[in-house]
Amino acid sequence: MRLDDLLRISVRQVYRHRRRYWGVILAIALGVAGFTTIITIGRDVKKNFNQDIELIGSANLIRLYWDHRPGQSPAWFRPETVSALRRTPQVAAVSEYTLRPAVVAAGGMRLEITVWAVDHHFWHLRQYQPAMGRLLGADSISDRRKEVVLGAALAAKLFGDRNPTGQTVDLDADLYQVVGVVRLDDYSVSNSLFIPLSTARDRLKGEVRPDRLLVRCATWDDVEGVAAAIPRVVAASQSASGLNVWVVWEALRRVQRVAWWIEFFFYLASSVTLLLGGVGIWNVMSAAVQSRTREIGLKKAMGAEDRDILAQFLTEALVLSVGAALLGLAAGRLVVALASSWLGQRPQEEVFIGCLGLSLAVAFAMGLGAGLYPSLKASRMEVVAATRYE
Amino acid sequence: MNSPRRNPDGSLIQARQLTMTYANGAGEIEVLKGVSLSLYPGEMLAIMGPSGSGKSTLLYILGLLLRPTGGSYWLAGQDVLALDRAGQALCRRERLGFVFQTCDLLENSTVYENLEFPLIYAGVAPRERRERILAALEQVNLGHRLRHAANRLSGGERQRVAVARALVNRPLVILADEPTGQLDHRQGHLVMDHFEAVAAGGTAVIVVTHDPDIAARCHRVCPLKDGRLVAASPQAQGWAADG
Ligand SMILES: Nc1ncnc2c1ncn2[C@@H]1O[C@H](COP(=O)(O)OP(=O)(O)OP(=O)(O)O)[C@@H](O)[C@H]1O
Ligand SMILES: [Mg+2]
Repeated sequence: MRLDDLLRISVRQVYRHRRRYWGVILAIALGVAGFTTIITIGRDVKKNFNQDIELIGSANLIRLYWDHRPGQSPAWFRPETVSALRRTPQVAAVSEYTLRPAVVAAGGMRLEITVWAVDHHFWHLRQYQPAMGRLLGADSISDRRKEVVLGAALAAKLFGDRNPTGQTVDLDADLYQVVGVVRLDDYSVSNSLFIPLSTARDRLKGEVRPDRLLVRCATWDDVEGVAAAIPRVVAASQSASGLNVWVVWEALRRVQRVAWWIEFFFYLASSVTLLLGGVGIWNVMSAAVQSRTREIGLKKAMGAEDRDILAQFLTEALVLSVGAALLGLAAGRLVVALASSWLGQRPQEEVFIGCLGLSLAVAFAMGLGAGLYPSLKASRMEVVAATRYE
Repeated sequence: MNSPRRNPDGSLIQARQLTMTYANGAGEIEVLKGVSLSLYPGEMLAIMGPSGSGKSTLLYILGLLLRPTGGSYWLAGQDVLALDRAGQALCRRERLGFVFQTCDLLENSTVYENLEFPLIYAGVAPRERRERILAALEQVNLGHRLRHAANRLSGGERQRVAVARALVNRPLVILADEPTGQLDHRQGHLVMDHFEAVAAGGTAVIVVTHDPDIAARCHRVCPLKDGRLVAASPQAQGWAADG
């Protein structure tokens, strides 16, 4: 049997029996429309959320620092401790740094500021991006370069509208080259200067030791476990007394909750679609085979082979499921467009395309899976039993 | 198919000792008790017999719609009972045209679509189909009903469409189960005119009928009684010898 005949006949058959099929078509179309809407809009929410760097950035971050203990020398993190933390499961990255006050001078200005002595992981962990020039990379740290990065607010104070990159600043009576500017929302941080931790150790007055750590966990769900494990890891190589492990629990819970709902809706929508559609197709195709035994017998008498009948019923099931999915996609597209304009967001086209592919694939699998048994039954029917069926 | 289109003795159909027993709930009904039959190209054969004598059963067996419990059946040089389901389907679509007693048509389809199916299954190219469908419909004077819905046809028209559908594949043998049962005298003879025309072209025709007038238009009349075909009527004289 030719493919074009097969398709044409199946579409015609579904169209002519549309009263029998509209229920299942509606169910699948609704499922797909809901699925598409939730995924596309849900992604919108999630993406918006990702743009909220402050919130997302802190959600899976753990900060480690020490209590001030009067009369004792300040505690700091040993290199063994840092590498042990980096080896801890579900830890994605660790950055060591410290803060100290300093005086910076440039262009005839002297300002008291905070100096952040950082390693090259710092930027990524805090999700800081360069606004101009570059940040302090691994080379700057290992070569102990005399380079600094300015917070945007500080850069504006020192250099005004001029481009600060390439300029020099005076820090504790030593000259450093500005390699970049980092834009920051937090004003106090924006009013700071960043310097390689190694350079600071060599050149700044007093002892410069990493007394703060940032630990990024692989996912939001790992934060709790990692936070609980940290004191033990630290205690393995140094005293952990006075250690503070700080998690922004509130932000973490919010992120987790939203993520959970998104996932929940995703699975709910897709499984309900699958279930409804699959049961519907099975049902409607079984009924069709029952009530169309005469047709099957006739077609066999006209020379149809078993596989022709199988192909026809299977194609009908596919036309049904894929057709319904297309309908649902069209409806979903409409809802997404409306919802997006209502939310004042641009619809996520690439997410919608993904939904389209997934829905069609699922609909195809569903039509094939649920249509197979009834179609096999139809194809194996004996001719006379079928033609004599009343 | 590229096997010969005749049996070795020149016949199209050679059936020997066909038996059919239906398992019917508690007991068994032996409907055919040894039917032997030969049919030659261009021959028209009428099968008569009381209701329930097994005429339809015999026709189903000859049409490869039902497998007999015993016996042998050669169709156009092929032992068709030895074929598998696909092989029998191939035989049905290339060599046989069947008209059901109930004149079944595909109800939700048009006349054209009803006639198109045998061609689709036979792999006839789309552009060739229309011509053949028109030719078959012209043969039964229904050329003007091409796009008519099957369930809006009159009884007589339905019967003629069923006949046209049996013709459209240009079969070697047409098996018609009471094709005139629901027609008035004139319409019945019209259908027989169509059969005579195709028989003149070499197609063999078997007609099951209760009507002696219809049977009289065939070359041979075989009554089916007690599960056996009784000796051919005098009309068989002068036609190819029955083996
Ligand atoms: N599938 C079946 N199962 C059991 N018995 C059957 C079956 N089909 C037919 N029979 C029986 O076989 C006998 C012959 O049936 P068949 O339809 O061949 O008769 P017929 O000669 O065509 O009768 P009519 O002239 O009424 O059409 C009948 O007694 C019928 O009840
Ligand atoms: Mg009958």
